[in-house]
Amino acid sequence: MANKEKGYLALVLHAHLPFIRHPEYEDFLEEDWFFEAMCETYIPLLDIYERLTAEGTDFRVTMSLTPPLCNMMSDDLLRERFRRYYNLRLELAEKEVVRNRNTGFYEVAKMYERKFRRIRELYEDYYHGRILDGFKKFQDMGKLEIITCGATHGFLPLELRKEAVHAQIKLAADDYRKHFGRGPRGIWLAECAYNPGDDVFLKAQGIRFFFLETHGIIYGSPRPRYGVYAPVYCPSGVAAFGRDMESAQQVWSAETGYPGDQRYREFYRDLGYDLEYDYVKPYLHQDGVRRNIGMKYHKITGKVQLNEKAPYNPGEARDMAASHAGNFMFNRERQIEHLNHFLGKKPIVVSMYDAELYGHWWYEGTDFLEFLFKKVHYDQKTMKMVTPSEYLSMHPDNQVVQPCMSTWGDKGYNEVWLNGTNDWMYRHMHKQVERMVELANRFPNADGTLRRALNQCGRELVLGMSSDWAFLMTVGTAKSYSTKRFVSHTHRFNGLYEQIMGNRLEENWLKELEWKDNIFPEMNYRVFSTEEMEKAARG
Amino acid sequence: MTSSGHINKHNTSPEAEAKALPEGYGNTEAALLPRDPNWMFIYWEITENSRKNTCKQYGEDVFQKGRQVIRVYDVTGGEGRYFDIAVMLEAKSWYINVQEAGRAYCCEVGLVMPDGKFIGLVKTNTVNLPAGRVSDVTDEKWMAVSSDFDKLMQLSGVEYIGKGSGEVAKSLAQRWEMLRAVFSRASSWGVSSMSSQSLQKPEQKKFWLVADCELILYGATEPDAFVTVSGRKVNLNPDGTFSMRFALPDGLVDLPIKAVSKDETDTREIDIKVTRATTTDGK
Repeated sequence: MANKEKGYLALVLHAHLPFIRHPEYEDFLEEDWFFEAMCETYIPLLDIYERLTAEGTDFRVTMSLTPPLCNMMSDDLLRERFRRYYNLRLELAEKEVVRNRNTGFYEVAKMYERKFRRIRELYEDYYHGRILDGFKKFQDMGKLEIITCGATHGFLPLELRKEAVHAQIKLAADDYRKHFGRGPRGIWLAECAYNPGDDVFLKAQGIRFFFLETHGIIYGSPRPRYGVYAPVYCPSGVAAFGRDMESAQQVWSAETGYPGDQRYREFYRDLGYDLEYDYVKPYLHQDGVRRNIGMKYHKITGKVQLNEKAPYNPGEARDMAASHAGNFMFNRERQIEHLNHFLGKKPIVVSMYDAELYGHWWYEGTDFLEFLFKKVHYDQKTMKMVTPSEYLSMHPDNQVVQPCMSTWGDKGYNEVWLNGTNDWMYRHMHKQVERMVELANRFPNADGTLRRALNQCGRELVLGMSSDWAFLMTVGTAKSYSTKRFVSHTHRFNGLYEQIMGNRLEENWLKELEWKDNIFPEMNYRVFSTEEMEKAARG
Repeated sequence: MTSSGHINKHNTSPEAEAKALPEGYGNTEAALLPRDPNWMFIYWEITENSRKNTCKQYGEDVFQKGRQVIRVYDVTGGEGRYFDIAVMLEAKSWYINVQEAGRAYCCEVGLVMPDGKFIGLVKTNTVNLPAGRVSDVTDEKWMAVSSDFDKLMQLSGVEYIGKGSGEVAKSLAQRWEMLRAVFSRASSWGVSSMSSQSLQKPEQKKFWLVADCELILYGATEPDAFVTVSGRKVNLNPDGTFSMRFALPDGLVDLPIKAVSKDETDTREIDIKVTRATTTDGK
């Protein structure tokens, strides 16, 4: 039975959202990003894992759950607001089933009612509001490998100080231990952004592997013998897995990718705009402005205007997802057979995606994944799905290659996060890092209010470091929100710094910041000290 | 509402946060960041104090007499090659194009005096740029790592069956570059950025020269002002600075710049006219 397969498939989903939580507002627009992703991607994925396990289908998947996401998922305020969110959606979906009884939208209306009922059932009855426990359960079964990410998805190649790199990794590893009961074995470097040498800080936290865009490996030195179809070891011994571009392209491509099929759900036609205003108003934000509410009744249909889209047919779309899953598997089998022959070795094909592509952007993407897991399990013998940890324990000997600086962003390097729209940020970010290191070095044993202020400095600093802000400025969506976030964390940090250095801490203000920016409740500011960084670098 | 704090609406201080970011931090310093194999980004701050000290040491008119430049050093393996880029010190940041990828660079902002002497004002960190191509190094080393990192064992002389490594890496690289070019996620992002194309060496001719020129316009005003250049609105950075990069064809370019204060009671105008004339020897 063993060794029959010709190669391996590792599916890697990167789940991440920036930390967005505004207790100072009753109702906050950008918090919806999290609620939408919960309803469309994170909970549906757990639903799939539950179903596959119940019916005895074995599967393997690797998922990052970034520290900001873990902090949001376990935050009381956001849990409360998420309940409010899906209960409102369910209420509307129930009304919609009645309203659409004799229309062409009846099936899709029923689909949303089922969907939100199931979300409530999973969230409340299965996980009691603690969905990280759900993910942990499948990790403990060995089917899911949860990996971490930099503390706030910080973009490491643009950091000047190694203290900042170390802090991003160490805070993440500690947060992971708190949620999942053991240390992380792998990490998703934010944006797959790798700077040669930073892997020593991964090793210091016991992290064994990370992922790179294709050229990070194939432009590495010396030349990687197996390209991206075997991991390489950095000189530190940490393994780097490279992205397979064929499977990436098959799903992502704007021209030929699966999500563009005309039977799939149309993203841009939304009930928030379609329904009669007074009827939909209770489900909009308090300002009453029409926006997407995540319920959509139409299919892509073809190259027609939004008002010419045809009704969505859930059954037909699901069949298409099954057929695309079959096509994806067929292509991987042929690819793996070919590589096995070409390389003289069992290749590992690493298929990496943003998790939110599945379910949120590509609504049927979660169905696609479920079919793919089943088909791989029941319908073929060419390949085996593995997690990176499993692969490394089966194949501990690999080539030593120094990967090159790279990212998975446009053009492959740092330009998405460093261009005319966002380059002004870095002098401020670097100054804060310098000041934070200065504080951590200067106060080795602070306690009381000073300690709290130093820890809050650490929180404000890492929140400003999220690569998301620079990214959003580049793509031009939510540009003013991302600018505001960066600027306000910078002010909060600098304000605290000046109060600490001037020995005039305002406790009320500190309290307010602790209440607003409460990521990493266990923050210990000493993580930014030069001493801790050097200790980690020595290994 | 449950949270690790309490809601007190009088406790929030939005006005403190609405103010712009500091223009400087009162230190003379500079930093260099890698963008891609051929481009880097530098920012700097030079304080009034540093300027005064430079004047004290080299003469009151040193900033008028000297040409303001970024000196870009190739410091790979301790080499000292450099070239200069003319800038205005007030620009405070710049994108630097280098012809050779895969090398280590550092920069120094300073003044080139008429006699050729260089007065450095501030130096950056060193940046190692990626090579951006398949490595020429083909020596192979292998390692085994035990699951708890206890053992890092270098293997040597292990024979692996398979194609030559160059062939695999090179064919993958070709395929990757092709896919990048035709599909890349850029299409959905609509990333607009400055060109990262370096000048292409023309084929066939033995000795060659290409040259081109672009125009960078920059300035600063109150962060909440309304600014137009040639009648088009300009987005200001949070610190009130702005910059634009234009193609500069032969002929006259007229760039009227206008700033209107937030309360619309005050305006300032600067008009910049640039003429370009290119001649070649036609060879």
